[in-house]
Amino acid sequence: MELRTYAENTWCPGCGNFGILNGVKRAAEMLSEKGIGTERLMMSAGIGCHGKIFDYLRISGLYSIHGRSMATVEGMKFANPDLKVITFVGDGDAYGEGLAHVLFAAKRNADITVVVHDNKVYGLTTGQFTPTSTKGFKGGSTPEGSVEDPLNPLALLLEAGGTFVARTYSGKIPHVADTLVRAVEHEGFSLVEVLQPCVTYNDTYRLYNEKVKLLEETPDKLGEAIDTARIQDPLYIGVFYEVKKPVYHRELYGERNPAKDSLSREERVRRIRNLLSVR
Amino acid sequence: MKKNEVFTYLVGGRAGEGVKKAGTVAMSIFTRMGRASFEMDDYPSLIRGGHNFSVVSTAADTITSHYMEADLMVLHDERSYLEHQSHVKPTGVVVYNSDEVGEGARGIGIPMKSEAKKYPPNPELRMGVGSVTVLAAAIGMPVNQAEEIIKKEYPRDREKNADYARAIYELIPSEVLGKFHLEKGTHQSSALTGNQAAALGAYSAGLDMYFAYPMTPSTSILHFLAAHMSDLQVVAIHPENEIAVANMAVGAAFAGAKTMVGSSGGGLALMEETYSLAGMVEAPVVFVLSSRSGPSTGVPTYTDQGDLEFAVNQGHGEFPRIVVAPGSVEEAYYKAAELLLLVWRFQTPGTLVLDRHLSESSHTVNIDPEKAVWADFISHDSGEYRRYEVTETGISPLLFPPSSELIKWNSYEHDEFGITSDKAEKIVAMHDKRKKKLSKLHEYLKTIKTVNVYNPGHPVIMTYGSTTMSVLEALRAGDIDATVVQPVYLRPFPVWEFTGYDRAVVVEQSSTGQFATLLKEKAQVDSLVIAKYDGRPFDPQNLALAIKEAV
Ligand SMILES: Cc1ncc(C[n+]2csc(CCOP(=O)(O)OP(=O)(O)O)c2C)c(N)n1
Ligand code: SF4
Ligand SMILES: [Mg+2]
Repeated sequence: MELRTYAENTWCPGCGNFGILNGVKRAAEMLSEKGIGTERLMMSAGIGCHGKIFDYLRISGLYSIHGRSMATVEGMKFANPDLKVITFVGDGDAYGEGLAHVLFAAKRNADITVVVHDNKVYGLTTGQFTPTSTKGFKGGSTPEGSVEDPLNPLALLLEAGGTFVARTYSGKIPHVADTLVRAVEHEGFSLVEVLQPCVTYNDTYRLYNEKVKLLEETPDKLGEAIDTARIQDPLYIGVFYEVKKPVYHRELYGERNPAKDSLSREERVRRIRNLLSVR
Repeated sequence: MKKNEVFTYLVGGRAGEGVKKAGTVAMSIFTRMGRASFEMDDYPSLIRGGHNFSVVSTAADTITSHYMEADLMVLHDERSYLEHQSHVKPTGVVVYNSDEVGEGARGIGIPMKSEAKKYPPNPELRMGVGSVTVLAAAIGMPVNQAEEIIKKEYPRDREKNADYARAIYELIPSEVLGKFHLEKGTHQSSALTGNQAAALGAYSAGLDMYFAYPMTPSTSILHFLAAHMSDLQVVAIHPENEIAVANMAVGAAFAGAKTMVGSSGGGLALMEETYSLAGMVEAPVVFVLSSRSGPSTGVPTYTDQGDLEFAVNQGHGEFPRIVVAPGSVEEAYYKAAELLLLVWRFQTPGTLVLDRHLSESSHTVNIDPEKAVWADFISHDSGEYRRYEVTETGISPLLFPPSSELIKWNSYEHDEFGITSDKAEKIVAMHDKRKKKLSKLHEYLKTIKTVNVYNPGHPVIMTYGSTTMSVLEALRAGDIDATVVQPVYLRPFPVWEFTGYDRAVVVEQSSTGQFATLLKEKAQVDSLVIAKYDGRPFDPQNLALAIKEAV
């Protein structure tokens, strides 16, 4: 399966994004074996270093604008529910610029997968603090250190109604791949946070290699999942929560497929005539 | 133009007293008589109380505006009475609710409220039923027929409504019964608002999905399509905000659905970044902009054309934009369809410009669904797919998933496959491709009707959008011979249709004369501007006086 493109890779050598890219390729192959091939696996991406993954994968999709790709893939999914959709976003992108979209996608249980490249920094705009940066983070916009406490996105998204919430680490490619496969297979909103070191502005390899620990069992109670998401030491990777709930598009219009089942012109003319004659 | 014989009915009262509904029922009574009719509702931005009125004007043949001078008024409260009774025609009748309008009032008092209290619950909701009964009696309907109409139009609690109607009918003095004789007209038509017409027109051309966040005066498009999700098989989605709205629409277009979004100025402003995205990825999406009196939150339920410059300049960067401003309810139907076709043919965003007056006023229309265009597009048939293939026309064929081909739409500048590129020659190639689409769009527009010219050969009036309806009715009201030139396309502006015009009276609802500025810039037309910017649409009689003075 050819998943490479001819695009020149411009990530910094050693960037955690390489681990994610390799994990995604492996996941795409596994998904293809399970019947979810790249003909119907669609991607989007936010704007940032993370977004460049769009150019590096031979997967169809739409390279969105900063913070909005959750809405982009929701649109794809709602228009043609046969598609499986996945978007690759940044911590600045999804938790700063586009937080409302992630929260609401979770709230409505939109059947999409969101993969957050969480390097706790704005990489592409040269190293400013983000919603997940630790307090005191020094960057171009906070030379004396950030004065804000970080968000806890996993706890927040669990509270918002996320039906599949997981964390993985770019340094563990097989774990990245397995988690992505499970997230895509999950019917409903799934979010995978990937701990991603940015060697240039926030090198967290040592920290993660020390602190990351496999979560052996997925909590089955929401409260327990949220408690687990709050633990900072160790940093658990694994699935924090997984539950089956009705998905948005089916709740709204059942088994209909708006793009595929689009009515013919004649049929529309007939329905308009009907409607106008009743009025 | 020939003078019109117009009958006007006005109902005034508080929000929650069925004022608007009474107007709608009047509209359907006139429509069923085959008459041309126009309804304008005036209401503040609140849910209960305040002052509302609904005015319906009707003529046997043609009418394109309401008139503020009424033949028959039914006024529910003191405030409506004070506001309107002086605008009754000399031959007209004022009926007021004598429970609230005090001694010494001019006209016919009927205790509408105390009568309604005999039919609990919600006596105030029944006031509108009373107002319709007065209309029915005044145009000569016997009591049984009036009762039938009430039962049909007010099915909830219908028996009590019918009893109340009969009681009111009996209180109407005999000199009012049958006072107004309305001839039957010959129209086979239905009453639609501009918003409903735009929604249906887009649907007729192939609309699959509508995304919107509520914002007056665009909201009724969302309500209308949401209410018809099953019988029309469209999908209406109300997400978290306008930014989600626009991006979902682009995503849905990627998946092959025909999509439209709508809002007022504030919401469109939020969508602007995505408007450019649509220009760059070449996504076909229709954006409906229904203006309110502005700027900012402005006056939500009142009309204005102050968004013109904003409308024609949506989005940053260079890409083709299509901006269409229909000038009537019927035109809203056909132009919404045409715009859906154009955005799909040329794969670029388009804006349908409406305003509160056109969006929410109701007009009798004769729509032939067969006459609307169908939004077809150029699709890829075989061979290796390149999303942004450079072609003769600049238009690259479309292909939708699922597909084994690679389909990449990209917000960054890109190469033909849709892979990001900052190479000088790729930047130039893609700019040239988008520019070619623009020149093809120009060519195409030259083959279709982009400007309406009414009544050629006289002094020239130029106007656009909803104001066209006011101008045409003003010419009838004032028996004025003037040519009306109305560009329907505002961008690309059809300059080729403007040769031979060097001066005009310009009528617009804007305080700074944005339309006159556009005409000067694009067509070198000097203008004398008749402007109105108090949130109220023109009254044809007042406008007729202003036009006579100007020409
Ligand atoms: C509307 C908008 N605002 C700002 C930017 C500039 N911008 C590009 S990437 C970025 C931040 C990226 O940070 P993050 O999402 O964490 O991605 P990373 O580069 O770290 O992968 C910003 C602010 C933009 N492209 N669009
Ligand atoms: S700046 Fe950081 S995130 Fe961006 S490519 Fe370099 S290492 Fe990776
Ligand atoms: Mg980041």
